[in-house]
Amino acid sequence: MFINPKNHYNTMKTLSYFSLVLVFLFAMGEATNAQNRFSRRERKAHYSSDYNYDVQIMGVGQDGTKVMKVSGHGKRVEDAVIEAKMNAVASVIFKGIPGGHGAATTPPILKDSNAGDKHAEYFETFFSPGGKYLQFITMTTDGMPSGQDRLKMKKGYKVFIYAQVMYDALRKQLENDGIARSLDSGF
Amino acid sequence: MKRLFSIFIFTTLTLSLFAQAKKPTIMVVPSDQYCISRGYKMEFESMGATQTLPDYKAAMQNDADLRLVITKMGQIMADRGFPLKDLEMELRNLEREAAESAMLMSSTSGSEMAESPVDALKRTAKADIIMDLSFDIKRMGPERYISFNLRGLDSYTSKQVSGAAGAGKPSSAASPELLLEEAVLSHMDGFNAGLQSHFDDMFAKGREVKINIRRFASFYDNLESYYTDESTGEELELLEHIENWFFDNTVEGRFSLSDASENQMRLEQVRIPMMETDSRGRERAVDTRRFLSGLSRYLRTTFGIDSKIYVRGLGEAWLIVGEK
Repeated sequence: MFINPKNHYNTMKTLSYFSLVLVFLFAMGEATNAQNRFSRRERKAHYSSDYNYDVQIMGVGQDGTKVMKVSGHGKRVEDAVIEAKMNAVASVIFKGIPGGHGAATTPPILKDSNAGDKHAEYFETFFSPGGKYLQFITMTTDGMPSGQDRLKMKKGYKVFIYAQVMYDALRKQLENDGIARSLDSGF
Repeated sequence: MKRLFSIFIFTTLTLSLFAQAKKPTIMVVPSDQYCISRGYKMEFESMGATQTLPDYKAAMQNDADLRLVITKMGQIMADRGFPLKDLEMELRNLEREAAESAMLMSSTSGSEMAESPVDALKRTAKADIIMDLSFDIKRMGPERYISFNLRGLDSYTSKQVSGAAGAGKPSSAASPELLLEEAVLSHMDGFNAGLQSHFDDMFAKGREVKINIRRFASFYDNLESYYTDESTGEELELLEHIENWFFDNTVEGRFSLSDASENQMRLEQVRIPMMETDSRGRERAVDTRRFLSGLSRYLRTTFGIDSKIYVRGLGEAWLIVGEK
């Protein structure tokens, strides 16, 4: 088979141009992706944020209680479990719990999204180690979470625990402390 | 003198601290759909057409599920500081009240109590906020689940102020009573959050009420007759003077005149203040009657027109101009 050297040269030239264009496009794509990626510091801020936790209702609880599955992060599993307990109470106060498993959406006790900052001093004490928040959790899976409920992260663990929060008692406590408004206030 | 002054200041402060807005009454009422679909209904002929109305008494006497749900809701609402008016008790009281009023007479002259046909007509079970309830126990194969619908309706503005609806988790093991209890527990927090928003809005922008201005047929003028307000020197239709009064006395001038003619004015979304300071310097709660008495006084002192206030509840009243 005879190959015309001139044609061969042209084909090669076209191919090299085509490769250059591909390389350029690939580089552009990478640059765009790089813009979407978070830096290490940003990722750390994301994981250590107080607002970063998952919460899921697990059904309708007994009178005045909410049963939920909630996540927590920590260097050790024990730390993550403690944070998950705090998150369970915090979710009921600030975030609310989305509906599911036959239970309707639970609204947060404090509707104002800035309530945490407004009463920062109060909540600092409330959520301090061994603080009053523990009074409103009646049941948790205190044993070490395992399987899918215990995820090994790059630095530490993310765990899920099942918790029962005394919603009505917590709301009353916040109303008595002047943090939340009761339904009949003003009347 | 100094001591007297201190006592006066203390009393004024105490009075203003303890002044509370008028608390709305709330009552759970089974929806028309619930009553009629279960046969708790009354049918009668009116102008050749059959009318069907819910029979609440029959529903309360025969439906154990309904009683269970109402009891549970009442328990939750009482815990939140809003004990509910009980429909069954209210109906029973009304019957007794009617019987007693018919029998009661003065011990000296034997006179009966004065009661106009309107007084008798007004003797019905009512509340400021109606919790309109319906639920159904449904089946999906061997499992049962509850479909629940609860609406909070303002009796006067007919607006839905809160609501909760949804279906529960199907179960083959749980009894219908347990499923019903679950449904109430599941939805009441959301419902109360809606109610709280309604009250917050009420305190921020005033109570929303409905007002009708009518005229007695015996009144020599009508709402389109010209009157001069001596204080401003303005010569306007009576209707316009009334509109100006509303603009000056509602919260941020909020009201809408939805209908007007020479005989009537229909004002909706009227925002009246929750509290006011009376002539003695006391903070007092305002309801529609109290609010309209201000307009009645204005019409009498400025134009020499008498008027009658007819109250339909905390959030609705009529002012009929021309006579008392």
